Amino acid sequence: MGRLRDFTGRRADDRALTQLETALGEVGANVLTHGSPPGGFFPVAYSLTIENDAVIAMFTDSGPPVHNHLARPMPAPTSEQGRGLAMARMLLDELGYQRDGDTNRWRLVKRL
Amino acid sequence: MRTRSELDDTDIAVKSKEGQIEVFLPIVKHSHGRSLVSLEVQTRQEPNGVMVVAPTGRLDVTGAPALKEALSELGKDGQQPRVVIDMEGVSFVDSTGLGSVIAVLKQLRTKQGELRLAAPNQQVRVVLELTTLDRVFPYYATLEEALAGF
Repeated sequence: MGRLRDFTGRRADDRALTQLETALGEVGANVLTHGSPPGGFFPVAYSLTIENDAVIAMFTDSGPPVHNHLARPMPAPTSEQGRGLAMARMLLDELGYQRDGDTNRWRLVKRL
Repeated sequence: MRTRSELDDTDIAVKSKEGQIEVFLPIVKHSHGRSLVSLEVQTRQEPNGVMVVAPTGRLDVTGAPALKEALSELGKDGQQPRVVIDMEGVSFVDSTGLGSVIAVLKQLRTKQGELRLAAPNQQVRVVLELTTLDRVFPYYATLEEALAGF
């Protein structure tokens, strides 16, 4: 993120980059935690691109499909888990997901 | 552009074009086989009995267990614990880190204890407000304010 801040010239407390960093952490943690099939270990791919005024991040993993988790609402305040993807959805301009064979493809877009 | 198989543990490949930057992080290599602990936690007792917990680092999926561990003994002496988590040293919090704070709060409430957060940075405030947990955890701009009247 430091490199991204340098490249965009944004301040350390820039709200859009803070929101992007938080969303990247949530989707990244989800991908690392659930991104391999049971009993296996498969690599995760990640790329970050700046196009015009938007940052586009892509994740690819080999975990089970996650369609059922994507639209989950924010859980109750007393819940200790289940907020990650709901947070990412709210923090980003776009959270795209596609199941491609045995692969999950995530597309995160944040306009700066 | 190198493929991910060409990247090693410490590699960050950057390819800049006009108006474009591409970064590949081999994050998969960090998910096993090395220490990921990102949080150190110090605790101390104030003269009025309030426990101040001061984590330093990232309160995220790797750091959250350290916070839970540091507070696992709270209330076992039969006291009603009053705890301030001083967030000044926390650079980043994620949903798992939030979950650990909620777990601490629930643990405290079973002992009729109380919890306050102090000095969250901008990222922490964004997350608290986004999840509406700012209504659950009263947070204070400074540690001194959190301790006042507690």
